[in-house]
Amino acid sequence: MALMPKRVKHRKSQRGHIKGNATRGNRVVFGDYALQAMQGGWIKAQTIEAGRIAAQQYIRGEGKLYVRMFPHRSITSTPLETRMGKGKGEPEHWVATVKPGTIMYELSGVTEEQARVCFARLAHKMPVRVRFTRRRPA
Amino acid sequence: MADVLNVSKREALGTSNTRRLRNAGQIPAVLYGHGQDNVNLAIPAIEVESAIRQGTKVIDITGAVKDSVLINEVQWDPFGSEVLHVDLTRVSADEAVDVTLVVELRGDAPGLKQGGVVEHLVHEIEIQCPAGEIPDGLSVSVNELNLNESITAGEVEIPASATLVSPADQVIVQCTEPVEVTDEEEGAASVEPEVIGRKAEDEEEGGES
Repeated sequence: MALMPKRVKHRKSQRGHIKGNATRGNRVVFGDYALQAMQGGWIKAQTIEAGRIAAQQYIRGEGKLYVRMFPHRSITSTPLETRMGKGKGEPEHWVATVKPGTIMYELSGVTEEQARVCFARLAHKMPVRVRFTRRRPA
Repeated sequence: MADVLNVSKREALGTSNTRRLRNAGQIPAVLYGHGQDNVNLAIPAIEVESAIRQGTKVIDITGAVKDSVLINEVQWDPFGSEVLHVDLTRVSADEAVDVTLVVELRGDAPGLKQGGVVEHLVHEIEIQCPAGEIPDGLSVSVNELNLNESITAGEVEIPASATLVSPADQVIVQCTEPVEVTDEEEGAASVEPEVIGRKAEDEEEGGES
């Protein structure tokens, strides 16, 4: 099942703008290697799940995968063949907002070569430009 | 072993001057401590990044200022690829300082052959140590880590003169059985999240009418 919040304060949100680089969530915290966003964008809950499955199928319980983003924002849409007006549409799916620099996934318990292959498979699923990165020195 | 950095004094301050400095391959730094005046410095980026990546904490600086210093704080760019600024603190070799050290795992855990997964939960621990005896990093042997066992911060080998600042019962690495994530039923995907306060409002409206 795709990720979504359990409780929300408001069902619908305004679209907003993705400005600037990530100042939080831009460090590798849990794992040794990570996939980092180089562009801003919305990542659908289904896409996050597809990436997770692609990575899990490669590591097969050998390492541990951490998903560092969560779809907090609901995206609405109006049904097809609907006349203009009648207010904002109903929530259709959920997205995570990522800024350039955001750490999207982390991996531990595998070698660097394995992590590179794993993230290369995962990167194909992502709608934004990403890169492989590793833990920052203390 | 302490590295040596060639430093020069930085007279031109401010954003634009600092940006120019970085474009010229230098990193701005500040030196303070021991009750003396702060000194603004510029250090070659290659030397700083080399020292940081090696995990060196105490370094000697030469050039405009000669002293023994501790790398206190490092500022990185949002992508974590370039060092923006370094804070240096004056230290003497016998002065006790709090430092955060990287914990690395070495060896092969027998728990892996027993079907477990080694989880490295804490990558850094804090110790208090004389500045002259700070190691570059700490290593933990997992050669005797069996399934469902863990190694805590108190079991990590640290220098004899050092004391552990992090909680001694903090689990550094553990070997557990892998948890298989099962996909839930598709039918549940259409369920919307609960809206905070919505139910209470509906009840109030119903009660008034």
